[in-house]
Amino acid sequence: MNELQFLTWVRGPGLDIALSIFLLGVLWRLAEIYTLGRKADLAAPRSRPGASGWHTILRRSLPPPGMVKRSPVSYIGGYIFHVGLAIIVFLFVPHIKLIESLTGLAWPGLPSQVIDAVTVVTLAAMVVVLVDRINKPVKRYLSTFEDYFTWTLTFLPVLTGYLAVKHLFLPYTTLLALHILTAELLLIFLPFTKLFHAFTAWGSRWFNGDINAKKGVPV
Amino acid sequence: MTASLEKGINVLKEVIDAPIASFFASCVHCGLCAEACLFYTESGDPKYTPIHKLEPLRRVYEQEYTLLGRIKKRLNLSRPLTDEELGQWRELVYDSCTLCGRCSLVCPVGNDIVYMIRRLREGMAVAGHAPEGVIGATKRTVEIGSPMGVRWPAVAAQIKHIEADTGLEVPVDKEGAEYMILLSSMEIINFPEYLGAIAKIMKQAGKTWTLCSDAFEATNSGIQIGVSDIARVIVSRIVNGAERLKVKTVVSPECGHAYTALRWEGPNLIGRPYTFEVLHILEVLDQFRAQGLLKTEGFEETRLTFHDPCQIVRRGGVIEPQRNLLKMVAKDFVEMSDPGKYNWCCGGGGGVSANEDAEALRLIAFKRKKAQLEETGAKTLVTACANCRIVLEEGLEHYQMDMPVVGLTELIAEHLVKSDTAAKEAAAQGA
Amino acid sequence: MSISNDSEFKSALNRLTPVQQRMVAARFTENVLSLCEDPRVVAAVNAAKRPDISEAELSVVFQAAKTASVETYTQCGKEADWRNQAGHFVAKAALLCVTPPERAGNLAWSAAMNARMARTCETIANDQGTENREAEQQYRVLTELLNQ
Repeated sequence: MNELQFLTWVRGPGLDIALSIFLLGVLWRLAEIYTLGRKADLAAPRSRPGASGWHTILRRSLPPPGMVKRSPVSYIGGYIFHVGLAIIVFLFVPHIKLIESLTGLAWPGLPSQVIDAVTVVTLAAMVVVLVDRINKPVKRYLSTFEDYFTWTLTFLPVLTGYLAVKHLFLPYTTLLALHILTAELLLIFLPFTKLFHAFTAWGSRWFNGDINAKKGVPV
Repeated sequence: MTASLEKGINVLKEVIDAPIASFFASCVHCGLCAEACLFYTESGDPKYTPIHKLEPLRRVYEQEYTLLGRIKKRLNLSRPLTDEELGQWRELVYDSCTLCGRCSLVCPVGNDIVYMIRRLREGMAVAGHAPEGVIGATKRTVEIGSPMGVRWPAVAAQIKHIEADTGLEVPVDKEGAEYMILLSSMEIINFPEYLGAIAKIMKQAGKTWTLCSDAFEATNSGIQIGVSDIARVIVSRIVNGAERLKVKTVVSPECGHAYTALRWEGPNLIGRPYTFEVLHILEVLDQFRAQGLLKTEGFEETRLTFHDPCQIVRRGGVIEPQRNLLKMVAKDFVEMSDPGKYNWCCGGGGGVSANEDAEALRLIAFKRKKAQLEETGAKTLVTACANCRIVLEEGLEHYQMDMPVVGLTELIAEHLVKSDTAAKEAAAQGA
Repeated sequence: MSISNDSEFKSALNRLTPVQQRMVAARFTENVLSLCEDPRVVAAVNAAKRPDISEAELSVVFQAAKTASVETYTQCGKEADWRNQAGHFVAKAALLCVTPPERAGNLAWSAAMNARMARTCETIANDQGTENREAEQQYRVLTELLNQ
């Protein structure tokens, strides 16, 4: 298979397979988790303004007092690469075009030099976060193959995308095909790894906030 | 697989609900929960990371409730839990966790880790891996009525002392009283002044109250080790007593987990809402204050600070009353760093203080509280949980810090405007 | 004069000087001292009986007695060992005997209460119920002191 056939495949059947597994996987996992339900709480609740599941969904994005000092890379590195990924994925014109071709939705993108800069910063943040995972005793202790695997799954599309745009090291066609392939791998594994927190963090925050709100504690 | 291990694993399967599945699915191994846990921060040992304490439960989740996990199980590729592993986890689940809940407040993806630990303990207990000391306490509570083996005659003896000390009556089994006061064995044995304080305060506020002779115990060690059946028996005793005496409000004492057990878990244990209100004594005092029924005089001159008991404040929702009450009697009240719902645990709750194996670790963890105290420059430490008091005193003693620890209810009682009888007494002395 | 109830007892104690309060508290505690074997507690009681004791010496025995008192708390959830608990109340009474008066309030009365609770713990431990004659003995001790 030459590079052009490779590119055609990842753009065609590859994309279909990846999106199918992604969508079915997400739906299956969401059902697997949330249909478990929970028992009703018969205790008379206390109400307190500012305490609810919804409040926690938003509020939990902010660091609690004293925590940034204890683990600055987790917060600062974490914010940077999450925001960076969102900007790259949703505000880069070629990506918006892809989404438009699949769903009909479109919106304005950012200038490509801005995306370039964001990409470099995101890549750097991701490396820093990886180094922190290896260096810090708690993170190292907790980390399994899955943590390093998912880091790689997330890093490669960003890296190959950047290399493709910049025409670095390999022919453009190959780079583009690799970029699309690695993005497809990310999609395929997302529902079945810790990357699924992209979908479940909201539910988790909501449950946490709700459980505590009933006692009148805003979390 | 032994019968009890199998039962334990079944319990773990049953306790996993949507929240727990969502929590495990969301964990990204960021380790921030460790930075909120005093057992990790003071020991530096990563095995005390809160989410790691849940590994047995997580394995059950993975094998029973995830697609890949289920497939692996079908193909005989997964590792079931073993007795040995649960045995290894006993230290993590019972010695290095006080159910303080601080981890649940910091997890960025929103995991309520203490919610999960509470349920893991259910499985551990059924599988036979709860610590001896707490199992004993639970048995005693069911058979005798109190985890510390305190029977009614002992309570009656304390009542006599208190009646002598205060000159006030302690009502027992009075039907139709507005408030039914519960005690913790700790108070009955170690801090009998609490009951005296209640008597004085109720007298001044002009409220009717009573003890219940067959339901005087508030503590619920079933909750601590995670044996809901026993927890249910204990709560039912109180509910029956309260309904028999037709009281309006049941008052939980200055004990940490008793409030959580009765107010928040109780109705779920017995399967129906209560027909009475449950309040913590601090809430009752704060209501009296707001209604103008609490008249105090004089101020503490020395610098005071307040230790927020985890089960009452962060886990119970009683956050403001203690501050309102302290401001009535203290000129120089300073908050600790991380006050209120973010306060750090004393290190001895959740059954840890009754667990001899956990003592060394507990004293190490106390360094967090020590640091907080030193920052405030306070001369007196006030709190509202009998177990915290003892744990704090032991910690202070261990680190050679000379700082009295006082219960808030007693402090308020000491500042009550003297009643008529006492005024007459004082006048008679002067004559 | 004679003392026959707690209200007379308490007001009589209130009228004592700090030094007298310490001495009588020591006598109350001595009465239950057999319930506690801790040498630090015994040392505190002996120190309190000395009218000429210096503040520095008091401070030393105070620290030791405090440690003894904290060590003997019954932990939340542990089975109540009533004998140990008796020792705890004796330690508390002894601690009061050597507490500087500004920190202790009516220390003789509190010491008396703690001594009574120690006796009650002993009778519970011996399955003799909760009635005892400690209060009456304390009235006699105080009366003797006042009539000297």
